Amino acid sequence: MKKLNQTIERVLKDEDDVRTATAPYQAEFPYERDEEAQVTRREFCNFLGLTSAALFLGAGGFAAKAALDARSSESFTTAQIAGAEMLAPNSSLNFNYPSERDSAILIRTADGAYHAYGQKCTHLSCPVYYSRDHQRLECPCHEGAFDAATGNVLYGPPPRALDTIQVEVRDGQVWAVGRKTSGGEHAS
Amino acid sequence: MQANGKSERPSERHHAAVWQARLIMLVMINIAQLWILAATVDAALARHYAVLVPLVIASGVCFLITLSIIRWWRPISRRKTSTGYVRTSLKDQ
Repeated sequence: MKKLNQTIERVLKDEDDVRTATAPYQAEFPYERDEEAQVTRREFCNFLGLTSAALFLGAGGFAAKAALDARSSESFTTAQIAGAEMLAPNSSLNFNYPSERDSAILIRTADGAYHAYGQKCTHLSCPVYYSRDHQRLECPCHEGAFDAATGNVLYGPPPRALDTIQVEVRDGQVWAVGRKTSGGEHAS
Repeated sequence: MQANGKSERPSERHHAAVWQARLIMLVMINIAQLWILAATVDAALARHYAVLVPLVIASGVCFLITLSIIRWWRPISRRKTSTGYVRTSLKDQ
Protein backbone atom coordinates (compact mmCIF):
# COMPACT_ATOMS: atom_id res chain seq x y z
CA MET A 1 0.00 0.00 0.00
CA LYS A 2 2.83 2.34 0.94
CA LYS A 3 4.61 1.46 -2.28
CA LEU A 4 1.47 2.26 -4.28
CA ASN A 5 1.17 5.66 -2.61
CA GLN A 6 4.80 6.39 -3.37
CA THR A 7 4.26 5.47 -7.01
CA ILE A 8 1.20 7.72 -7.26
CA GLU A 9 3.10 10.60 -5.69
CA ARG A 10 6.03 10.09 -8.06
CA VAL A 11 3.74 10.05 -11.11
CA LEU A 12 1.95 13.20 -9.97
CA LYS A 13 5.28 14.91 -9.30
CA ASP A 14 6.48 13.95 -12.79
CA GLU A 15 3.32 15.50 -14.20
CA ASP A 16 4.04 18.75 -12.31
CA ASP A 17 7.60 18.71 -13.58
CA VAL A 18 6.43 18.33 -17.16
CA ARG A 19 4.00 21.22 -16.79
CA THR A 20 6.70 23.44 -15.34
CA ALA A 21 9.15 22.42 -18.02
CA THR A 22 6.78 23.20 -20.85
CA ALA A 23 5.57 26.49 -19.37
CA PRO A 24 8.02 28.80 -21.29
CA TYR A 25 7.03 27.20 -24.57
CA GLN A 26 3.36 27.71 -23.87
CA ALA A 27 3.82 31.46 -24.33
CA GLU A 28 4.69 30.88 -27.97
CA PHE A 29 2.46 27.87 -28.44
CA PRO A 30 -0.47 28.41 -26.07
CA TYR A 31 -1.71 24.88 -25.72
CA GLU A 32 -3.58 24.31 -22.47
CA ARG A 33 -4.09 20.66 -21.74
CA ASP A 34 -6.75 21.26 -19.11
CA GLU A 35 -8.80 23.46 -21.41
CA GLU A 36 -8.29 21.09 -24.32
CA ALA A 37 -10.00 18.33 -22.34
CA GLN A 38 -13.11 20.47 -21.87
CA VAL A 39 -15.97 20.46 -24.34
CA THR A 40 -17.95 23.66 -24.46
CA ARG A 41 -21.73 23.67 -24.53
CA ARG A 42 -21.67 25.18 -27.99
CA GLU A 43 -19.40 22.42 -29.30
CA PHE A 44 -21.60 19.76 -27.74
CA CYS A 45 -24.69 21.41 -29.25
CA ASN A 46 -23.09 21.42 -32.69
CA PHE A 47 -22.05 17.80 -32.26
CA LEU A 48 -25.65 16.84 -31.43
CA GLY A 49 -26.84 18.78 -34.48
CA LEU A 50 -24.41 16.94 -36.75
CA THR A 51 -25.40 13.61 -35.19
CA SER A 52 -29.04 14.41 -35.87
CA ALA A 53 -28.24 15.20 -39.52
CA ALA A 54 -26.25 11.97 -39.84
CA LEU A 55 -29.06 9.90 -38.35
CA PHE A 56 -31.60 11.52 -40.69
CA LEU A 57 -29.39 10.88 -43.72
CA GLY A 58 -28.79 7.31 -42.54
CA ALA A 59 -32.51 6.59 -42.24
CA GLY A 60 -33.19 8.23 -45.61
CA GLY A 61 -30.35 6.39 -47.31
CA PHE A 62 -31.37 3.04 -45.91
CA ALA A 63 -34.99 3.54 -46.97
CA ALA A 64 -33.94 4.69 -50.45
CA LYS A 65 -31.69 1.66 -50.91
CA ALA A 66 -34.45 -0.71 -49.77
CA ALA A 67 -36.93 0.92 -52.17
CA LEU A 68 -34.45 0.71 -55.06
CA ASP A 69 -33.71 -2.94 -54.33
CA ALA A 70 -37.43 -3.70 -54.32
CA ARG A 71 -37.99 -1.99 -57.67
CA SER A 72 -35.12 -3.59 -59.52
CA SER A 73 -36.28 -6.73 -61.30
CA GLU A 74 -33.59 -9.38 -61.42
CA SER A 75 -33.38 -12.02 -64.09
CA PHE A 76 -31.92 -15.28 -62.93
CA THR A 77 -29.76 -17.66 -64.85
CA THR A 78 -29.83 -21.38 -64.34
CA ALA A 79 -26.83 -22.78 -62.51
CA GLN A 80 -25.81 -26.25 -61.56
CA ILE A 81 -25.09 -26.80 -57.89
CA ALA A 82 -21.84 -28.74 -57.89
CA GLY A 83 -21.69 -31.72 -55.55
CA ALA A 84 -25.40 -31.61 -54.71
CA GLU A 85 -26.08 -35.04 -56.19
CA MET A 86 -23.73 -36.61 -53.65
CA LEU A 87 -25.37 -34.85 -50.72
CA ALA A 88 -26.51 -37.32 -48.07
CA PRO A 89 -30.03 -36.98 -46.61
CA ASN A 90 -30.27 -34.70 -43.55
CA SER A 91 -27.26 -32.63 -44.56
CA SER A 92 -26.51 -29.33 -46.23
CA LEU A 93 -24.23 -27.74 -48.78
CA ASN A 94 -23.23 -24.09 -49.27
CA PHE A 95 -23.19 -22.53 -52.71
CA ASN A 96 -23.50 -19.10 -54.30
CA TYR A 97 -26.54 -18.02 -56.26
CA PRO A 98 -27.50 -15.95 -58.28
CA SER A 99 -24.12 -14.20 -58.09
CA GLU A 100 -20.85 -15.13 -56.42
CA ARG A 101 -21.61 -12.62 -53.66
CA ASP A 102 -24.94 -14.22 -52.71
CA SER A 103 -24.33 -17.12 -50.42
CA ALA A 104 -27.01 -19.80 -50.32
CA ILE A 105 -27.59 -23.10 -48.59
CA LEU A 106 -28.91 -26.32 -50.13
CA ILE A 107 -30.55 -28.80 -47.79
CA ARG A 108 -31.40 -32.40 -48.45
CA THR A 109 -34.01 -33.34 -45.92
CA ALA A 110 -34.35 -36.79 -44.39
CA ASP A 111 -36.97 -37.74 -47.00
CA GLY A 112 -34.48 -37.00 -49.80
CA ALA A 113 -36.05 -33.76 -51.08
CA TYR A 114 -33.89 -30.75 -51.97
CA HIS A 115 -34.60 -27.26 -50.64
CA ALA A 116 -32.43 -24.18 -51.11
CA TYR A 117 -32.50 -20.79 -49.40
CA GLY A 118 -30.56 -17.56 -49.32
CA GLN A 119 -28.18 -17.89 -46.39
CA LYS A 120 -28.80 -14.44 -44.94
CA CYS A 121 -31.07 -14.38 -41.91
CA THR A 122 -33.98 -12.02 -42.49
CA HIS A 123 -33.42 -10.42 -39.11
CA LEU A 124 -29.96 -8.83 -39.41
CA SER A 125 -28.36 -10.79 -42.26
CA CYS A 126 -26.27 -13.24 -40.23
CA PRO A 127 -25.58 -16.49 -42.11
CA VAL A 128 -27.92 -19.32 -41.12
CA TYR A 129 -26.74 -22.91 -40.87
CA TYR A 130 -28.48 -26.29 -40.99
CA SER A 131 -28.84 -28.01 -37.64
CA ARG A 132 -28.88 -31.75 -38.32
CA ASP A 133 -30.00 -32.56 -34.79
CA HIS A 134 -33.08 -30.35 -34.95
CA GLN A 135 -33.54 -30.60 -38.73
CA ARG A 136 -34.03 -26.88 -39.10
CA LEU A 137 -32.09 -23.80 -40.14
CA GLU A 138 -30.75 -21.80 -37.24
CA CYS A 139 -29.32 -18.32 -36.93
CA PRO A 140 -26.54 -18.21 -34.32
CA CYS A 141 -26.64 -14.43 -33.85
CA HIS A 142 -30.06 -13.94 -32.22
CA GLU A 143 -31.32 -17.50 -31.98
CA GLY A 144 -33.87 -17.46 -34.76
CA ALA A 145 -34.90 -20.69 -36.51
CA PHE A 146 -36.46 -21.53 -39.87
CA ASP A 147 -38.27 -24.59 -41.13
CA ALA A 148 -36.00 -26.66 -43.39
CA ALA A 149 -38.80 -27.64 -45.78
CA THR A 150 -40.49 -24.24 -46.22
CA GLY A 151 -38.07 -21.60 -44.93
CA ASN A 152 -40.77 -20.20 -42.66
CA VAL A 153 -39.86 -18.71 -39.30
CA LEU A 154 -40.21 -21.20 -36.44
CA TYR A 155 -39.26 -18.85 -33.64
CA GLY A 156 -37.03 -15.92 -32.81
CA PRO A 157 -36.73 -12.36 -34.10
CA PRO A 158 -36.69 -12.89 -37.92
CA PRO A 159 -39.68 -11.00 -39.36
CA ARG A 160 -40.18 -13.11 -42.49
CA ALA A 161 -39.23 -16.39 -44.12
CA LEU A 162 -35.89 -16.96 -45.82
CA ASP A 163 -35.53 -16.13 -49.52
CA THR A 164 -36.26 -19.31 -51.44
CA ILE A 165 -34.08 -20.57 -54.25
CA GLN A 166 -36.00 -22.71 -56.68
CA VAL A 167 -34.21 -25.96 -57.47
CA GLU A 168 -34.83 -28.60 -60.10
CA VAL A 169 -33.37 -32.07 -60.46
CA ARG A 170 -32.42 -32.82 -64.07
CA ASP A 171 -30.78 -36.15 -64.92
CA GLY A 172 -29.60 -36.57 -61.36
CA GLN A 173 -28.04 -33.10 -61.27
CA VAL A 174 -29.42 -30.34 -59.05
CA TRP A 175 -29.93 -26.94 -60.66
CA ALA A 176 -30.82 -23.58 -59.19
CA VAL A 177 -33.32 -21.88 -61.50
CA GLY A 178 -34.55 -18.80 -59.63
CA ARG A 179 -34.73 -16.92 -56.40
CA LYS A 180 -37.89 -15.74 -54.73
CA THR A 181 -38.08 -13.18 -51.97
CA SER A 182 -40.60 -14.32 -49.44
CA GLY A 183 -42.96 -12.23 -47.32
CA GLY A 184 -43.00 -8.43 -47.05
CA GLU A 185 -44.56 -6.00 -49.49
CA HIS A 186 -43.64 -4.74 -52.89
CA ALA A 187 -42.64 -1.11 -53.27
CA SER A 188 -45.35 0.92 -54.94
CA MET B 1 -26.57 31.28 -5.07
CA GLN B 2 -22.84 30.81 -4.50
CA ALA B 3 -20.62 29.33 -7.16
CA ASN B 4 -16.82 29.40 -6.99
CA GLY B 5 -16.98 32.01 -4.27
CA LYS B 6 -18.95 34.44 -6.47
CA SER B 7 -22.65 35.12 -6.40
CA GLU B 8 -24.44 34.35 -9.67
CA ARG B 9 -26.78 36.95 -11.10
CA PRO B 10 -30.34 35.84 -11.85
CA SER B 11 -29.78 36.30 -15.58
CA GLU B 12 -26.80 33.92 -15.47
CA ARG B 13 -28.89 31.33 -13.68
CA HIS B 14 -31.62 31.61 -16.31
CA HIS B 15 -29.03 31.51 -19.05
CA ALA B 16 -27.57 28.28 -17.69
CA ALA B 17 -31.04 26.79 -17.28
CA VAL B 18 -31.90 27.51 -20.91
CA TRP B 19 -28.62 26.02 -22.08
CA GLN B 20 -29.26 22.92 -20.00
CA ALA B 21 -32.80 22.60 -21.37
CA ARG B 22 -31.49 22.93 -24.93
CA LEU B 23 -28.90 20.22 -24.40
CA ILE B 24 -31.37 17.86 -22.75
CA MET B 25 -33.85 18.33 -25.60
CA LEU B 26 -31.15 17.77 -28.22
CA VAL B 27 -29.98 14.58 -26.51
CA MET B 28 -33.57 13.30 -26.28
CA ILE B 29 -34.17 14.03 -29.95
CA ASN B 30 -30.94 12.23 -30.87
CA ILE B 31 -32.06 9.18 -28.89
CA ALA B 32 -35.44 9.26 -30.66
CA GLN B 33 -33.64 9.45 -34.01
CA LEU B 34 -31.48 6.48 -33.09
CA TRP B 35 -34.63 4.51 -32.37
CA ILE B 36 -36.13 5.63 -35.70
CA LEU B 37 -32.98 4.53 -37.55
CA ALA B 38 -33.14 1.11 -35.88
CA ALA B 39 -36.82 0.81 -36.84
CA THR B 40 -35.96 1.82 -40.43
CA VAL B 41 -33.29 -0.87 -40.69
CA ASP B 42 -35.70 -3.43 -39.23
CA ALA B 43 -38.49 -2.44 -41.63
CA ALA B 44 -36.17 -2.48 -44.65
CA LEU B 45 -34.85 -5.96 -43.83
CA ALA B 46 -38.40 -7.19 -43.21
CA ARG B 47 -39.50 -5.58 -46.50
CA HIS B 48 -42.23 -3.58 -44.79
CA TYR B 49 -41.95 -0.75 -47.27
CA ALA B 50 -45.12 1.02 -46.18
CA VAL B 51 -43.56 2.19 -42.92
CA LEU B 52 -40.29 3.40 -44.43
CA VAL B 53 -41.59 6.77 -45.62
CA PRO B 54 -43.26 7.71 -42.29
CA LEU B 55 -40.06 6.76 -40.47
CA VAL B 56 -37.89 8.91 -42.71
CA ILE B 57 -40.35 11.80 -42.35
CA ALA B 58 -40.26 11.40 -38.56
CA SER B 59 -36.47 11.48 -38.63
CA GLY B 60 -36.60 14.59 -40.82
CA VAL B 61 -38.97 16.33 -38.40
CA CYS B 62 -36.59 15.49 -35.54
CA PHE B 63 -33.71 16.97 -37.53
CA LEU B 64 -35.70 20.15 -38.22
CA ILE B 65 -36.51 20.50 -34.52
CA THR B 66 -32.82 20.02 -33.70
CA LEU B 67 -31.90 22.64 -36.26
CA SER B 68 -34.46 25.10 -34.89
CA ILE B 69 -33.21 24.57 -31.33
CA ILE B 70 -29.59 25.14 -32.33
CA ARG B 71 -30.30 28.03 -34.66
CA TRP B 72 -33.13 29.98 -33.08
CA TRP B 73 -34.00 28.82 -29.60
CA ARG B 74 -31.43 30.74 -27.57
CA PRO B 75 -31.29 32.28 -24.11
CA ILE B 76 -33.00 35.72 -23.97
CA SER B 77 -29.84 37.30 -22.58
CA ARG B 78 -28.54 37.16 -26.11
CA ARG B 79 -29.72 39.68 -28.63
CA LYS B 80 -29.61 39.14 -32.38
CA THR B 81 -27.66 41.72 -34.34
CA SER B 82 -26.68 41.99 -37.97
CA THR B 83 -23.43 40.20 -37.17
CA GLY B 84 -25.01 37.43 -35.17
CA TYR B 85 -25.83 36.90 -31.52
CA VAL B 86 -24.14 39.01 -28.87
CA ARG B 87 -24.41 38.92 -25.11
CA THR B 88 -26.13 41.98 -23.68
CA SER B 89 -25.18 43.49 -20.36
CA LEU B 90 -27.57 43.30 -17.42
CA LYS B 91 -28.52 46.98 -17.54
CA ASP B 92 -29.56 46.66 -21.21
CA GLN B 93 -32.29 44.15 -20.31
